Amino acid sequence: MKEQFSGCMVRVHFGEDDRWQGKPLHEAIVARCKQLEIAEVIVFRGIEGFGSGSRIRRSGHWTFSKDAPIQLSIIDTEEQVARLLPLLDTMVEEGLVATSRVDAIRYRRSSQPPRSGS
Amino acid sequence: MLSPGKAVKVTIYLSEGSTHHGVPIYSSILDFLFYRGVAGATVTKGIAGFGADHHMHSSNLIDISDHLPIKIEFIESRETVDAMLGKLEEMAGTGLIETQETTIAKPAQTSRARPKVHPEHLKIEGKAQMMRIYLSEEDRWNGKPLYKALVEAMRANDIAGVTVYRGILGYGAHRRMHKDESLFSAHHGSVMLSAIDTAAKLRAFLPMVDRMVEEGLVVFSDVDIIKYAYRAHDAQTETQSPAQAPPRSEGGLP
Repeated sequence: MKEQFSGCMVRVHFGEDDRWQGKPLHEAIVARCKQLEIAEVIVFRGIEGFGSGSRIRRSGHWTFSKDAPIQLSIIDTEEQVARLLPLLDTMVEEGLVATSRVDAIRYRRSSQPPRSGS
Repeated sequence: MLSPGKAVKVTIYLSEGSTHHGVPIYSSILDFLFYRGVAGATVTKGIAGFGADHHMHSSNLIDISDHLPIKIEFIESRETVDAMLGKLEEMAGTGLIETQETTIAKPAQTSRARPKVHPEHLKIEGKAQMMRIYLSEEDRWNGKPLYKALVEAMRANDIAGVTVYRGILGYGAHRRMHKDESLFSAHHGSVMLSAIDTAAKLRAFLPMVDRMVEEGLVVFSDVDIIKYAYRAHDAQTETQSPAQAPPRSEGGLP
């Protein structure tokens, strides 16, 4: 089953050490996204980078610091993303949030029921 | 889809034992023809023969039986064949390639539409599109990981570049939402493919995606190519048109 929609992609950049209420920030954001039934969320760990604080972030087995750059990619309709953005405002203390408009196609096995919500 | 009339029949003669990057040559050529949307191809194995080196290969001797002659045949239009010959010559190595004018009396029938073939590798400047495909790493297609099959298919269709990223966490269209399941029990294996080319070429490739992806999400966005070389994009930026894009959240910035 194929479903086309025009939506929004949000990319959130921060460090792996960032936390939200004691939990790693990226896990906390994915959990909130799931509560909001956001369509697609994926988290990437970069191998090197720097961000708003201009600290170089590295992942590696040879260093104690594992503050690797993290990029979260979120895709859904604009209405769904609009519900999410205020939450990101409160959760991301130091980082970057970028949005862009996208055209999306969702493939689903026809036996599955359509997503509720949104 | 082939139509009745003039066409070209291509025959490639190989040795069974010859390999290309560790894979039998006939198999990589067959993959190439498949992903280029060739109407059909047949591989036959000879029982005896000899080639340019004038060694007799026959199935009677066990020890050289993996050097039996292999023949690949396919029929396509003149333009398609001409566009593929260079690559085929490179892949066939020491093998022989023969082309022959032929006439199609009746083309083979198929129940599915064939994706359009765009053989030319165009140079891209300025506007382009990025296609991101979100899948599960465990998804398979024809016995191989789907993300690998997609990369092979894109390569055969001359998509300018593609990168596969493995996520450390995620969920989406490729994974059922189980409310009762603990959140992080099923997050392994989210994969994203990111491909960049002209909108026309990516759209032409979409029927192939339709056939291969059962569950997943495909996302298109406009990008500006700043620099482009044959093998690598050195840099590209996402178009962030303020008129079109939703307002950028300021909350994340200190």
